[in-house]
Amino acid sequence: MTVLKRLLRTPEGLAGTIMLCLLALAALLAPIIFPSDPLSIAGPALLPPFTDAAFPLGTDRLGRDVLAGLVHGARASLAVGIAAAAVAVIVGALVGTIAGFAGGLVDEALMRIVDAFQIVPSFLLALAFVSVTGASLTVVIIAIALGAWTGPARLARAEVLSIRERDYVAAARVIGMHPLEIALRQVLPHALPPVLALSSVIVASAVLIEAALSFLGLGDPNIVTWGSMIAEGRNVLRSAPFLSIIPGFGLVVTVLGVYLFSEGLSDAISARKTTN
Amino acid sequence: MQRAFHLLRRRLISSIPVLLIVIVGTFLLLEAAPGDAVDAYVLSIGGGDPALVQSLRASYGLDQSLGARLWLYLTSLARLDLGWSVTFGRPILDVILERLPNTIWLMGSALALSFGLGSILGIVAGARPGSMSDRVLSVGSLALYAVPSFWLGLVLSIVFAVQLRWLPTSGIETIASGKQGFERALDIARHLILPVGALGFIYLALFLRMMRAGMAQAWRQDFALAQRAKGLSRRRIVLRHIARNALLPLVTMLGLQAASMLGGSVVIESVFAIPGFGRLAQEAVAGRDAPLLIGIIIVSALLVILVNLLVDIAYALLDPRVGASGATT
Amino acid sequence: MASTAMPSLLMAQEAANGGRLIVASDSEPRNLNPAIVASNGVFFISSKVIEPLAEASFEGENGLEPRLAISWEGSDDGLSATFKLREGVTWHDGTPFTSADVAFSALEVWKPLQNLGRLVFENLEAVETPDDHTAIFKFSKPTPFQLIRNALPVVSSVVARHVFEGEADIAASPANNRLVGTGPFKFTEHRPGEYYRLERNEDYWAEGLPKVDEIIFRVLPDRAAAAGALEADEIQLAAFSQVPLTDLERISKVEGIKVYSKGYEGLTYQLAVDVNHRRKELADRKVRQAIAHAIDKDFVVKTIFLGYAAPSTGIIPKNAPEFYTADVPTYDFDLDKANALLDEAGYAKDANGIRFKLRLLPAPYFTETRQFGDYLRQALSSVGIDATVVNNDSAAHQKAVYTDHDFDLAVAPTVYRNDPAISTTILVKSGTPAGVPFSNQGGYVNPRIDQLIEKANETMDVAERTELFKEFQRLVAEDLPLINVAEWGFITVARDDVRNVSNNPRWAVSNWADIALTP
Repeated sequence: MTVLKRLLRTPEGLAGTIMLCLLALAALLAPIIFPSDPLSIAGPALLPPFTDAAFPLGTDRLGRDVLAGLVHGARASLAVGIAAAAVAVIVGALVGTIAGFAGGLVDEALMRIVDAFQIVPSFLLALAFVSVTGASLTVVIIAIALGAWTGPARLARAEVLSIRERDYVAAARVIGMHPLEIALRQVLPHALPPVLALSSVIVASAVLIEAALSFLGLGDPNIVTWGSMIAEGRNVLRSAPFLSIIPGFGLVVTVLGVYLFSEGLSDAISARKTTN
Repeated sequence: MQRAFHLLRRRLISSIPVLLIVIVGTFLLLEAAPGDAVDAYVLSIGGGDPALVQSLRASYGLDQSLGARLWLYLTSLARLDLGWSVTFGRPILDVILERLPNTIWLMGSALALSFGLGSILGIVAGARPGSMSDRVLSVGSLALYAVPSFWLGLVLSIVFAVQLRWLPTSGIETIASGKQGFERALDIARHLILPVGALGFIYLALFLRMMRAGMAQAWRQDFALAQRAKGLSRRRIVLRHIARNALLPLVTMLGLQAASMLGGSVVIESVFAIPGFGRLAQEAVAGRDAPLLIGIIIVSALLVILVNLLVDIAYALLDPRVGASGATT
Repeated sequence: MASTAMPSLLMAQEAANGGRLIVASDSEPRNLNPAIVASNGVFFISSKVIEPLAEASFEGENGLEPRLAISWEGSDDGLSATFKLREGVTWHDGTPFTSADVAFSALEVWKPLQNLGRLVFENLEAVETPDDHTAIFKFSKPTPFQLIRNALPVVSSVVARHVFEGEADIAASPANNRLVGTGPFKFTEHRPGEYYRLERNEDYWAEGLPKVDEIIFRVLPDRAAAAGALEADEIQLAAFSQVPLTDLERISKVEGIKVYSKGYEGLTYQLAVDVNHRRKELADRKVRQAIAHAIDKDFVVKTIFLGYAAPSTGIIPKNAPEFYTADVPTYDFDLDKANALLDEAGYAKDANGIRFKLRLLPAPYFTETRQFGDYLRQALSSVGIDATVVNNDSAAHQKAVYTDHDFDLAVAPTVYRNDPAISTTILVKSGTPAGVPFSNQGGYVNPRIDQLIEKANETMDVAERTELFKEFQRLVAEDLPLINVAEWGFITVARDDVRNVSNNPRWAVSNWADIALTP
C-alpha cells in the first residue's frame, strides 16, 4: 500500500496513473459509448472536427466517426500492447528461468537462441513475420512479442543466477524437490519484479510497432487501432492533418502515461528500499 | 589494435552458432510464407501461364526440397558466397554492398545524434533533478519518443523541405549531379539531415532518460558528497565526475540500440526514399527473396557485432576498471 | 556524365528543346524488357527506349498511329498479317533496324516468353521477311486481325536481334536490364533505389525529336514523397496517380502545378469483386445479384475515387467504344432488393442479423482497392453478410486467390487492354489452370460463355466479332460471375513548364518523344 501512496505522491506517478486510468476507462467503456462498429460509415467524408455535434472530432476519408475510432482504438491499441508484453514477459521469464537454473548445455543452447533473436532487428522480424503469415490481431501480437521476449529472458536469467545459490533454494534442493519445481516455485517468483518493471517499456514500444506495421499496410483491417488511423490519415496529411494528429495524440498520451507511471513506480519502489 | 582484432575474431567465431540459428530460422519462416519468389515475380509482370511459372521455378532451383536448398545455401555461404537474388537478378553481395554505406551513414549519424544530444540534455536535466528544465526535457523527449517515426518524418519533410525549401525532400544525393569529393559529401549531408533527425529524435529520449537516471544515482553516491564537501563547484562535479560515471550504461545502450535502429530505418528509408538496408529488407520480404533477406540479416548482425565491439573499446577507455571483455554480451 | 548535367542559361534560351525532365517512379521492375514483360510498370520506363510497331492514338485510324511499322494489313482468311516497316531506323548502337529484328522478336520473344503475347500469338507459325522492310506473320489457325491490331501497342515491342541472338535463356539475359532500342531516348544508367537515366537519342528517326535532353525516373516508393517533391520542384512530373487522389484538390491549387486526367484511356483499370463459386452461397446467382445491389457505386466513385472514375455497367469499360454496350442488365443500389434476393435464396438472418459469414481479400496494389475492401465489408454487413477482411501483401494475395483459391470474395483491379480477348475473357473463361493471376480462379463454369469466347476467337469478320462480344457482355452481366463496380484511369500531375502531356490514350507508357520543357 505504501508503494501506491508513494507512487501517487510523485508528480510523475500521479500524472501517469491518471493518464492510464483515463485510457483504461475509455477502453473499457468503448462498446457502451459507441455501440456500433467504429468502422461503419456514419456520415459525410472528411468532416473537420468541431463542426458537427454528431461528429465532434469529424469524420475520415470514408465518413467514419473519428471519435468512435479514437475510443475503440484505445481498446485495440492497449490490448495489442498489453498482450504482446504479457506474451513476451511470460515466454522470456520462463526461458530465462530455465536457462539460469539448468545451466550447462541447456543454458548455452537457450542463450544462443536469445542471441539469435537479439541480433535480428525486432522490427524487421515483426515485418517479416506479419507479411508471411498475414495480418491479424493475434499475428501482430506474436510478431511484436517475438522481438521483445529476449530482454525479459536475459533479465530473468541474471536474476536467477544471483538467486540460485541462496539459502532457500539450496534448502529446497536438499529436501529433494524436482529442479523444475524449484525453478518455477521458488526462483521465478523472486526473479519476477524486475522483469515486470521492464514490461511497461515493452507495452509502449508494442503500441508504436503496431502503428509502424499499420503504416506499411500490415495491420489487422477488421479493427481500428490508432496506428491504422494514423496510417490512413497520412494519405490526407496535407489537406486534413487532424486525421493523423488526433490518434497520434492518443499514442503520445499512452506512451507518456506508461513511462511516467513506471518512472513513478520505480521511484516509489527504490524509495521504499532505501527506507527499509 | 592487435587486441581489438583478436577480440573481433573471437566475437565472430562465437557468433557462428547464433548466425546458424538465424539462417535456419529465416529459411523456415519464409518457407512457411504463402507464395514464393516466383509468385511475387509473376505478379509483378502482370500474370503468366503455368508453364512459365514452372520453368521459372526450375531455373531458380525453387522446385527442390527445403533441405536441399538449405544445404546448398550453407555450403555456398561457407565459400563466402551469399548467392543470387531473384528480385534483383544480381549477386546478393553486390546488392548489399551497394546499399550498405547509405544505411551506415543514416544509422551512424542518428545514433550519434541521439547519443550526443541525449547525453547532453540528460546532463542538463540530471544536474538539477526535479527542476523546471528537467521536467520539460524529460516530458518533451518522451512525447517525441511517442511519435511514430514515419509521422515525424513526413511532417519534418513537409515543413523543412516542401514549405521552407531549406532541405531536399528525399533521396540520398542530388540525382546525377556529377558532384565529386567534398561537394558530394556536403550534398549527401544535406540530404541526410531530415531522415537522421526523424530517426535520431525518437531515440533521444532513451539516452536522455538513461543519462538523467544515471546522474540521479551518481548524486546519491558517497563520492559526490565527498567532492561537494571538498568544496568543488557544482558545475565541476557534474561534468567531471557525475556525468562521466553516468555515461557508462549509455555506452552499453548504444550497442543495444544499434539493432533496434536498423529496424527503425525501414520506415524512415521508405518515407525519404533512401536506398538503404531497411528498404532492401522490405523488398526482400515482399519478393519472398529468402537468400537476400538472410544476407541482409547476416550483414546487419555483423554490423551489430561490430558496433558492440566498438562499444566495448569505448567502455574500456571510459572505465579502466573494466576489462575489454566484460562489458556486454 | 557532366556534359548534360546543368543546362546552361544559353541553352535554355535557344528553344523549347533541351533540359532535364525528372519524373517520379514508384517501382523498379526486375525485368525491364517490354517485349517480355508487357506491364505498365515496365512500359512506363522502357517505352521511351524500345518502340512497338504501332502506338495508340486519339486521332489515328482504328485508334493507332505508326511507329516502327508504317502500315499493316490482315488477310481475309486470318492466316497472315503483313507489316511494312519504317526505313532509315537504327538501333541505339548504330546497327540498322530490319525485318529480321521483327521476326526474331515475334518468334523468339513475344510468342514464347511474353505474358500477353503467348495468348495473342498462340498460333503464330512463322514470320516471312521477303525484304528488309516487310514482315509477314503466318498463323497456323485463323487469327482475327482485329485482335492483332488492337494488341499492337501492348504486345509488339521490338527488340534487337543482334543483342539477344545466341542467348541460351533470353528471359534471364542481362540485356533485359540494359535496353538497346530504337526509341527517342537511350538507356544510360540505373542506380537501384535511386534513379533511371535516359539520354536523348541524337539519331532518332523522327525529325526534330526528341525535345528534352534527358529523362530521369527518380525512385520514390512513398506516395506522399512524390507530392512533396513535385511542390518543391525537385521533380517535374508524377504519373499513374503517384500523387494520391486525396491530395489532388489541394495540389491543383498550388501555383505552377497542373493536374491531367486524360492520357489513360487505353489502359483502363476496372475495380471488380471476384467471386469464389466453390462457395455454396456464392454459387447462387441470386446471392451475387444481391451483393451487386448492396454496392453503392456512386459512393465508391465519389468517395473512394473522388470522382476520378466511372461506375461500371459490365465487364467491358465504357471507354472501349468499339466493343462497349450499355444494353445489359444493371444492378442499382437497392438494399431492399438485395435483402429480398437473399431471403429468396434461402439465407435468412439469424438472431444477430447475420445470414452467413465470408472472407474478403482486397488486392493490396492500390490504396483504392484496399479502401473499397473496407467499404465492401460495411456494404455487406448492411444486408446481413458478415465479412472478415484479410489483408495480405502482394505475394500472399496472389497465392491465396489465384493459386490456392483460399477466398470467398476478392477485390481485383483488372486491366482492359484494347480488345476483350487480350486480358478480359480470361476472367470468366473456364479451364484456366491455377496460378495465373487476373484470370478466372473462382471456379466459374458457364458453357454458353465459353462457347461465345471460342467463337469470337474464330471469327474474322470485324462487325460479327464485335457483335459476339456485345452478347458476351450481356451474358456476363446477367449471370454475374464477377461484379464490376467502377473503372478508372490514372492522374498525371506536372509542373506548368512540362509541355505535351497526356496527348495520347496510352500517354504515360508511350515514347514521350515530343515532351518538352518551356523555360
